[in-house]
Amino acid sequence: MKGLAALLIGLAALASLPARAQELVLTLSTREVAITSTYTGADITAFGFIERDVRSVTRAAPFEIIATVQGPVGDITVHRKGQLGPIWLTAARERFARIPTYFALLSARPTEEIVAPEAAQRLKLSLTDYLPPLENLSAGDYAEQTEFRQALLRLRQEEGALVVDPKAVTMVRPNLFTVKVNVPGKAPVGLYVINVTVISEGVVLRTAQAGFVVRKVGFDAAVAEAAKNRAPLYALATILVAVLLGWVANFAFRRD
Amino acid sequence: MQIYLPIAELPLSLFLLLGMGAAVGFIAGLFGVGGGFLLTPFLIFIGVPAPVAVATSSVHIAASSVTGALTYWRRQALDLHLGVVLIIGGVLGTVLGVMFFNQMRRLGFLDLIITLSYVTLLMSIGCLMFVESIGSMIERRLQRRKGTVAPPPVRPEKAWHQRFPLQMQFTRSKLTTSVIPIIMLGTIIGFVGTVLGIGGGFLVVPALIYLFRIPTNVVVGTSLLQILMTMVVAIFLHATVSQAVDIMLGLVLVVGGVIGAQFGVRTGQTLKGEQFRLLLALLILAVGVRFAYEIVGKPLDPFVISTVEVER
Repeated sequence: MKGLAALLIGLAALASLPARAQELVLTLSTREVAITSTYTGADITAFGFIERDVRSVTRAAPFEIIATVQGPVGDITVHRKGQLGPIWLTAARERFARIPTYFALLSARPTEEIVAPEAAQRLKLSLTDYLPPLENLSAGDYAEQTEFRQALLRLRQEEGALVVDPKAVTMVRPNLFTVKVNVPGKAPVGLYVINVTVISEGVVLRTAQAGFVVRKVGFDAAVAEAAKNRAPLYALATILVAVLLGWVANFAFRRD
Repeated sequence: MQIYLPIAELPLSLFLLLGMGAAVGFIAGLFGVGGGFLLTPFLIFIGVPAPVAVATSSVHIAASSVTGALTYWRRQALDLHLGVVLIIGGVLGTVLGVMFFNQMRRLGFLDLIITLSYVTLLMSIGCLMFVESIGSMIERRLQRRKGTVAPPPVRPEKAWHQRFPLQMQFTRSKLTTSVIPIIMLGTIIGFVGTVLGIGGGFLVVPALIYLFRIPTNVVVGTSLLQILMTMVVAIFLHATVSQAVDIMLGLVLVVGGVIGAQFGVRTGQTLKGEQFRLLLALLILAVGVRFAYEIVGKPLDPFVISTVEVER
């Protein structure tokens, strides 16, 4: 029911936009995800409409959609354990600076079937391309780097911070589509950007961008703010809570 | 039911956290150890970022220590003087530990050496306690069969720790000794705790039982008092320096923890001395094995994501 309402609102928003030659119009079910104490993640729907007029080239093949979602950037460090005698310890580490801490690749069928690898790379429409390119490396370094990158991609997918979903896009009409974006509960707060690319017969026709914000509100925002800006007070409050509860329990459970 | 944690920045199951808090609180109340060695890895395992897990465990430990220490105090099983002397040593050790940690950080294998020595220490203490407690259990059973009761072990006229100057009387502990070895013990515990990031309950409890021959229940109560003081300082430092204390996570863990601790204390009072020592020995051995496994066990996955820092 909620989804239907969102769809109607989305369609209404689309209908009010002026028409231009083969245009991609994009709108989101929400621009802000509010984090409260019961927050467990959010589902956002992007609605897209591909406008065609008489000047547009008539294409036999249908439109296809690839969407990427990028969360706030951050630094991720990957450790690799190695053996020294009988002991396992961190033998090497690799820091990936300024990469999205959440990334999703969304489409209606596997992206390799929609677009050629070279084009995907150029348009940043595959998973490996969300990492910075490997440049000026010796063969040994290259192999080492590749290994770390693959580990990063694998581990982040296991954590749900990197998503490949070839069923997230639905073509409602040949020129009307929805993209389902699932923001996991542990995805970081900040700005998220959705990039939508319209492809037909492997050719990119249009791209459009939309963004939404994930942020804490109310109590959770107040707690985070206090922890950051009033640290000594926050520390004392925490100590007080711990000591008080310990003391209360002592009375509540008193039997002797 | 899930609850969103504002500092850890993820939603977690409320009942899972309450249950874990209670289980660790039980162990804390029973043995007079903090329980951070169980709680911190568990929190990291369920997705809490490591700094938040470490910092917030101290909130749980503080609360279980308060409730445990108060119960022991009421039962006259807490030696305030002994606790204060231990805390003085503990503060000294913590300062030394912080200095040592910051100075020696650059030497790569330091962590490993410390972990190895700690594992060795835990394993030896665990094994010795295990053998000793089994021994006294068998002895007691034999005595019962013979129908005779052996005379209580005679304390030597002057134990090693009584030969130092600055004698002080610890009434509750039924001990008169020099404060120097006790301050030294406190210092070692504070030092190891700071460098390894783990509370010293495992060292304090056996040391007071075996080296100073203090009654077991007094040892547990006094150890809890010392842990409480250490944790209050730790919470303050964590909240102001790393800003990683999650008050919501702490609150949920504490509610479970204080209830668990109450039951732990009650269970502890029903145990015989050697049963207590045997269980503690098994616990210490288990912790030793866990630490050992961490460094000698083949990791399931050689790659791990160690940190994710979001730019603000």
